[in-house]
Amino acid sequence: MAETGRPGPGYLCPMRRILLGPLLALLVACQPDKPASQTPATVQVTDDLGRLLTLPAHPRRVIGLAPSMTEMLFAVADTATIIARTPNDNYPAAALRKPVVNNYPLDLEKLVALKPDVIFTVEGMTSPDDAQRLQQLGIPVYYQRYRRVEDVFAGIDRLGVLVSRPTQAKRLTDSLRQELKTLPDSARAPIATLSKVLAITWQDPIYCYGQNTLFTDQIRLAGGQNAVTETFAQPFPALTREYILKLNPDILLGGSFEKLDSTFFKNYPELRRINAYKTHSIYPITGDLMERPGPRVVESVRELRQIVEKSIPRSPVKSSR
Amino acid sequence: MRPRNTLIWALLGTSLVLLLVLGLRVGSYATSYEFILNTFLHYNPDDPAQLVLLQLRLPRLLLALLAGASLSVSGYLLQTLVNNPLADPYLLGTASGASLGAIAAYVLVPSLTLAGLYLPPLAALLGALAATLVVVAIGTRRGRILPAPLLLAGVAVGALATALGSLLTFLARPEGSLRTVVFWAFGSFERAGWDVLPYPAIALLLSLVLLAFLQKDLNLLLLGEERAAALGLPVARRRWLLVLLAAGLTGGVVALCGPVGFVGLLVPHLTRGLLGATGRFNVLFCAVLGGAFLLACDLLARLLYPPAGLPVGLVTALFGVPFFVYLLRKTS
Repeated sequence: MAETGRPGPGYLCPMRRILLGPLLALLVACQPDKPASQTPATVQVTDDLGRLLTLPAHPRRVIGLAPSMTEMLFAVADTATIIARTPNDNYPAAALRKPVVNNYPLDLEKLVALKPDVIFTVEGMTSPDDAQRLQQLGIPVYYQRYRRVEDVFAGIDRLGVLVSRPTQAKRLTDSLRQELKTLPDSARAPIATLSKVLAITWQDPIYCYGQNTLFTDQIRLAGGQNAVTETFAQPFPALTREYILKLNPDILLGGSFEKLDSTFFKNYPELRRINAYKTHSIYPITGDLMERPGPRVVESVRELRQIVEKSIPRSPVKSSR
Repeated sequence: MRPRNTLIWALLGTSLVLLLVLGLRVGSYATSYEFILNTFLHYNPDDPAQLVLLQLRLPRLLLALLAGASLSVSGYLLQTLVNNPLADPYLLGTASGASLGAIAAYVLVPSLTLAGLYLPPLAALLGALAATLVVVAIGTRRGRILPAPLLLAGVAVGALATALGSLLTFLARPEGSLRTVVFWAFGSFERAGWDVLPYPAIALLLSLVLLAFLQKDLNLLLLGEERAAALGLPVARRRWLLVLLAAGLTGGVVALCGPVGFVGLLVPHLTRGLLGATGRFNVLFCAVLGGAFLLACDLLARLLYPPAGLPVGLVTALFGVPFFVYLLRKTS
């Protein structure tokens, strides 16, 4: 917390700002009058939440309000146009040089002071309330939403169009799609033969990646299946021990065997009966990969694939009930 | 016992049994009545459904029962102590103190275990005891518990503990612990297991046995300090006993289930409404009714929002409050 409270490297001290302000105004005033045709044109777009927005056709100042969005912007946009990052944005390394703006709670003042043309974010990362207030202050907020890995690629393409770098984005998504194709195709395998993978995000209460998260598609592409097949209202539902026993997952993600054995399974000894525990198929995952629907999503699928491959394959007869 | 009271007891007993049986049936595994009966007669721990029934569902029901009973009795005792129907088991700062303890454990100790011990319940218990001690210390003059200062001290210490808890929550990293804290504050029986059940059970049983002898004294206390003293009641000693019992009962429950709300306020009222303010078996009835009420709430919570269920504290309020309001209107 102390870290995020400190001004980032790009923070201007008030004195410099006072000096810079009039100077910039002078510079602008000295520019020759632009012809009307060169005034920044705007475009009407609808974001993934169905919100109608007016964006500048060529945004010069953009911010991603989610780590995955910042990764996407760095992969697609002109990096000079990215003017800030949130405290958790740590990839790519170049992102660390951008000024930090707090997204939780949202530092509205700083955000406004940065004067972004448009803010890009992901559903669930920015509250609709905050977006509404930003809109009222004249900053459009563009939401993306992903249910499948393909949606992430489409999101990158779309972002490319919005920041006037469509070819750059297309090149990236083409290579990502290509990369995904090189992984052995498991989508056609009968579902009963796929390992059931339960990915937990928290131990008390037990929260996990639900059916309506990107994980479901990621693990499918990796040759497994999300153990949670029911769709709950919450994307990351809380589960009971009974429910997990019934699921009887073959693989458990959320920490190394040793770590979970001394914490998770110590608190919930009943769960030692699940297949994953019996076969020691319990693995840590790189949170920054799994949690970020960005350009590294394929890397995440590859990591999951390695886990699925090294764990003992599921025998279809072994069913709990 | 009057015939009307016998009928009330019989109804309560029947509902309790029904709730226990129904509660055993609800869960992720489909379990028929025969299956349940069979499990009790020939338990086979290798069958996952049987294991679930006896190791998860039954302890959960018993914990709900114990929690409801303990909180209701505690509420009854405190309402008697301060002679105020607004009092609830958390009057002594127990809930906020326990919350602070639990939040501290969740936020400050990411692994949640220390030397092999699972911290949140322990920290909650410590927090509850600490807050209660402070409240009682403020509410005491020369060894005598004074109801009014005690009440105010409870509010003040509760507010302080809540503020500190909120501060910790606000500073929490990772943000996942936020959800845990919120979840904890609603109360839940999901973590129930046979290993923890004996503590609240013994505390409750001892309290009930003790209170069975003291029901008359409780009724005398309702007359006010002077009249009770004039009738030969050692008021100061009884008040200490009530505070200790209430604190012990509440602290244990809150540590295990979180601060389940409303039951401790509603059930004592219901008890007095059904059996009168000075019934001979009020405390015992209060315990059984409280247990049945929380069993019903937990069952409803799990039916409405499977698998983990709605937080039980929400259900107690959602269904308890309208009923409570009805009761208030009817009696006034």
